[in-house]
Amino acid sequence: MISATDERARPSSTDDGNASSAIQVSDLTFTYPNGGVTALTSLTLDIRRGRSVGIVGPSGCGKSTLLSLIAGLMSPSAGRLAVSSFDPHRQRITMMFQKDTLLPWLTATENIKLFYRIHGGRKPQDLKQRVDELLALAGLSAFGNYYPYQLSGGMRRRAVFLSTVLPQPEILLLDEPFSSLDEPTRVAIHQDVLQIIRRMKMTVVLVTHDLAEALSLCDEVIVLTARPGTFAARRQVPFGADRSMLELRRTPEFLRLYAELWEELSLQIDASHKKGDDMRVVAS
Amino acid sequence: MQQLTVRGTQLAVLVLWLVSWEFVPQIGNLKDTTKFLDPFFISSPSRIAHRLGDLLTGSNGSVALWPFVWPTVSAAVIGLVLGVVSGALVGLILSSSRFLSDVFRPYLIAVNAIPRIALIPIVTILFGTTHTASVVVCWLVVFFFAFFNSYEGGRTVAPHLLQNATVMGASRLAVMRHIRLPFCIAWTLAAVPLAATFSLLIVISNEIITGALGMGRLLVVATATVDASSTFAIAVVMSVLGVSISGVIGLVQGRAMHWWGHG
Repeated sequence: MISATDERARPSSTDDGNASSAIQVSDLTFTYPNGGVTALTSLTLDIRRGRSVGIVGPSGCGKSTLLSLIAGLMSPSAGRLAVSSFDPHRQRITMMFQKDTLLPWLTATENIKLFYRIHGGRKPQDLKQRVDELLALAGLSAFGNYYPYQLSGGMRRRAVFLSTVLPQPEILLLDEPFSSLDEPTRVAIHQDVLQIIRRMKMTVVLVTHDLAEALSLCDEVIVLTARPGTFAARRQVPFGADRSMLELRRTPEFLRLYAELWEELSLQIDASHKKGDDMRVVAS
Repeated sequence: MQQLTVRGTQLAVLVLWLVSWEFVPQIGNLKDTTKFLDPFFISSPSRIAHRLGDLLTGSNGSVALWPFVWPTVSAAVIGLVLGVVSGALVGLILSSSRFLSDVFRPYLIAVNAIPRIALIPIVTILFGTTHTASVVVCWLVVFFFAFFNSYEGGRTVAPHLLQNATVMGASRLAVMRHIRLPFCIAWTLAAVPLAATFSLLIVISNEIITGALGMGRLLVVATATVDASSTFAIAVVMSVLGVSISGVIGLVQGRAMHWWGHG
């Protein structure tokens, strides 16, 4: 049952979201104001409730812009974007940004509880227990009282991730969440992240430039075209919920899917070069 | 070991300076031929020490120092606290509102451009040569230090921190309180040592210009009677006051701001 649907559209639409769709994007275009670039054009997507969806594409194709639109930080220039809410008692959306959002004057635990700090009186009774559980799941139990500057890069990203999942959002947006980490640390974190995502039954949209990350964490992967981004391809990821990150990367199915996605992405990157986009300059 | 060497060298420099000051003027007829070496004008460490003792105890016909210290220190501390709090608050509000910032910032810049010493006569007309006048003058100086730092602190909050709070559903007030305010406080605290130095400077300047009760008045009396020993002794007391206030501020900063510079 849809209890609420947040419509962000210009021109406005009265069309309700599909009953099992968490996010519906129809013919969406976004152009940055004051003569800015068109980041997305005629994009149509349907992200089902409870699914983890990876978004990949060439740099500058509008991946992060799409997340900002879903998060409500910006409004579409044209088309329709509907974000459904199925449980009015849950936070609808939280977002993990590529940059560090830990507040330097708060400890790791206080940062993880930031949502409840900024909402004042809305602290659930089992908050401490939930925080302790999450800290244990992420291997941070011994570091709850540490300040951000006392934590390693991997620990900081784990703490940021926990701060976004503690409010148990219906939709979790991840914007290149672990791109700053080295490969072994990233793989170790993926295992914890997957476990927490599954346990909390969230809809996840992951923007990443790392195909292995998308295949490790997601149920499906969507490829966008070069800027202005629009839908190019979609691949289902048939791995189970209890997938092991280390084992997964050795399976033929993983390698086959990786090759397929890489092929698709290469086409889009080639197209991007032909359009003259400088991938080092244009931020997605 | 290196710290011991530094401390030893510091002590040696001090001793060399004091010994030179005390004994070089006694060489030959140097004090008669060179004004800058005449103890009548530059006094000497031993005379200053004696006069300092007299001032601290109010003995040997000297006035006691303490009735003059309290008005200066209290005006400087009250003005500093009022200036820091009000400046930080206005900085927070203006950095949180583009509209208010656009409206009021030019006025604040214009007022700040007035040499603060020029405001002393106006404040004297309004409040007389009172303790309140010293506090107001001090507040006027410190306010702008705190305001501009707080304003910059509030404005330089990284956009992704504000966006993160927005996505979490934070109200404008919550963003101000939980995200912007700590940055404003941190930036304001960074300005406090300099503001403290200036608070003493302006309070003493006010006392010198208007004759209000305090260390400044004592200094004017000492200078008017060409009493070099008293003048230097008062300068030593002022230095100790300044270092003490800075020390307390440094301790508070160290405790409250241990995360600063790492974030």
